[in-house]
Amino acid sequence: MSDLHVLCKIGETDYLFSAADVLQMESYSGATRVPGAATQVAGLVQIRGRVVPVLDLRVIFGFPKIEPTLNSRVVVLQQEGRTVGLLVDSAREVLKIPAADFQPPPPVVVQQTEGMVKAVAQRNNRLLMLIDASKVIGEEQPHGE
Amino acid sequence: MSNGFDSAHFLAGFIAEAEDHLAATNANLLSIEAAAAKGQPTPRQVRELFRSLHTIKGLAAMVGIEPIVEVAHAMEAVLREADRAAGQLPRGAVELLLKGTRAIEQRVQALSKRKAVSPAPAALVSALAALRQSNAQASGAAASTSLPPELWSRLGAAEREQLVQGISAGRRAWLLRFVPTPARAAAGFNITAIRERLGTVAEVVKVVPQSVAATDDAPGGLAFALVILTDAADALVAEAGAVAPEELTAISLEETPAALEEGGPDDDAVDDPRHRGTVRVEVARLDDALEKLTALVVTQFRLGRATAALRAQGTDVRALAQVLAENGRQLRDLRASIMRARMVSVSELLERVPLVVRGLSQATGKSAHLEVAAGKAELDKAVAERIFPAIIHLVRNAVDHALEPPAERAAAGKPEVGAITVTCFERGGNQLELTIRDDGRGVDAVGVARRAGAPLPTSDEALLDLLTRPGLSTKTEVTTTSGRGVGMDVVKRIAVDELGGELAMRTTPGRGTAFTLRIPLSITIVDAFSFLCGGETFVVPVATVEEIQEVDLDRTVRGPDRRRTPRGESDRRRGTRGTDMIQRRGEAVPVLRLDEIFGLASPDTSHRKAIVVRRNGEPYAFAVDRMLGQQEVVVRPLEDRLVRVPGISGTTDLGDGRPTLVLDLIALGSKLMAESVTGAGA
Repeated sequence: MSDLHVLCKIGETDYLFSAADVLQMESYSGATRVPGAATQVAGLVQIRGRVVPVLDLRVIFGFPKIEPTLNSRVVVLQQEGRTVGLLVDSAREVLKIPAADFQPPPPVVVQQTEGMVKAVAQRNNRLLMLIDASKVIGEEQPHGE
Repeated sequence: MSNGFDSAHFLAGFIAEAEDHLAATNANLLSIEAAAAKGQPTPRQVRELFRSLHTIKGLAAMVGIEPIVEVAHAMEAVLREADRAAGQLPRGAVELLLKGTRAIEQRVQALSKRKAVSPAPAALVSALAALRQSNAQASGAAASTSLPPELWSRLGAAEREQLVQGISAGRRAWLLRFVPTPARAAAGFNITAIRERLGTVAEVVKVVPQSVAATDDAPGGLAFALVILTDAADALVAEAGAVAPEELTAISLEETPAALEEGGPDDDAVDDPRHRGTVRVEVARLDDALEKLTALVVTQFRLGRATAALRAQGTDVRALAQVLAENGRQLRDLRASIMRARMVSVSELLERVPLVVRGLSQATGKSAHLEVAAGKAELDKAVAERIFPAIIHLVRNAVDHALEPPAERAAAGKPEVGAITVTCFERGGNQLELTIRDDGRGVDAVGVARRAGAPLPTSDEALLDLLTRPGLSTKTEVTTTSGRGVGMDVVKRIAVDELGGELAMRTTPGRGTAFTLRIPLSITIVDAFSFLCGGETFVVPVATVEEIQEVDLDRTVRGPDRRRTPRGESDRRRGTRGTDMIQRRGEAVPVLRLDEIFGLASPDTSHRKAIVVRRNGEPYAFAVDRMLGQQEVVVRPLEDRLVRVPGISGTTDLGDGRPTLVLDLIALGSKLMAESVTGAGA
């Protein structure tokens, strides 16, 4: 596992994604809505010719929705052959955090977030939450097809 | 049939076959030209050309396209004489024959577009005729001999005529060889002496010096072939030539010209493996089959639902479920088979590339050697048609911009002839990789950056990003061949945005550039209407639409609704959830407001368009704001389950770089009906 992590923000909270899961980061100026899709689906964007669904991390984490700003970013994750974007308020830094600096999250957080928070780390008096990418985008369910 | 002759059917067949023969004609002309540059004779290609044109002429005469008959006839006549002259085409013939091929192509294209066919270009026809006359004078008799082609080609017109007439008059013609050696020279036998000696018993038609491998028998690496006509006895001739009688080779007249004229267009088709066991099918017919298969899949789906309902009632459906699963597999296999039938070979697709390179080399004065290695790769016809302009564009750029003029290449220590290669192979994951490579000057990163007004790119990827910016030009002057060098953005649009593929580039200053296209082997293309609803653009396949009509939502009839509303709340918009209806040819058609269904805000206007579809015979009208247009779109399925929603069959790019939803209004109607029956939303 690499020590590199992508730091992104929602409001004043910091979240980390393992850089190994992140394909790229793109600016965001709106997506094509998909009527009938789950509420966390912000829509579809085309990134380098590829149509990628974008999930609003605010909706997933229970924050109120906001209008996209110049800082808005889509963090494109790659998981088990799926490519899914996550809309965050901003994503600027790539941090090097060794595995030893992470601690397991308190059990209540694990429970409340349904395992989406994998670990926590401290940096400059700030608490950083490492997010489980596969949990956030949802595992592929065996479907009727 | 009233007229006993289905001309439209014949015409389609003619167009298809003519296109095949025209492609072969172009390929043969180019290989003749290449061989001529190396001084090699090309009797086989000339014969194939003759047959192609003979066939085109015959077919055109059958469907009564006089201008094509005329051009093909003029070309065929030139070729017949060339064939008689052992495949020697007169100077300038390839150029004129290419022009003739182009003239036929244009007329075939006009036919396929149901346009009027312009008359045969008189200047071209007379130029071809003039060629024939000069050819006739040059080659003399219109016959060939058993003389090896490399010798026959060294004979002048008068010498050929002399030889042919001599043999026709009953004289014997011999070919013999004289190899000078020091021993023979010491004995007084040099070529001059041999010539004089033979001159006493025979008529020396030609003495052809030939270089041979230097051996003990031919230490000088030189030999002479002597062609003679004589009435004298063989022994006398042999003695005069200082050879053994069995070393004389008789020269006879060849019967080929007659055989060639008898050979009809049909007997060659058998020899061509490409035509063995094949049937030409219009793509529209395959599409039709695919569409019917889709209907079958929908039926299977319904069967599955009915089975599930039975199971819910406690019926044992295990046997039925097994049959259903088997049926599903068979449908998938059938679909794959039909998709395979739509595949075209990439080498056939690239058949025209040599012609493009040739034309460009002439226009630019650069010489280029093209190598195409397409192997056995195949591509869906729809993809092939879309990607072809991008390939041509990259090849054009390679000749026009990348390759340096011969002098510059020589100064840089490169071969004067530039090399362009087009290779392709099938990658895993339903993708084809196509590479267009040149050994030219490489992309001028500094120039590109300056023009784009951007900092110097540090990687090939960044440079490609700049190159594919719309409207970027690296050439100030307009060249006739590639315009302004614009169009890399178009290449990217086709390969990446439209087909969902990738475009990559590797370039080395002074060494060359390679562009790699990765494209899907197959795509789904539909003719679609685009429309606006609630401020968003959608498209819907034309095939699913029965009609588009005006609807005034203030004048519709609203049915009462006795059902409870799904979430126990009333619809705030209209007060009730009753369904609007419109009259349509005596039928009451329910009107579904797409903006409400999709939760979009429409401008407050009651005059809308209604898109009428039919599901299980029942019509539905979807009210939308405004129709935008109709165009062919590439549909890309939505793969991620997060966005797989009934009523949305995929996305397309209408050219703005954003995904536009492709709607399946019939499925959407089904979903809405299912919801209204169960009384629950999703």
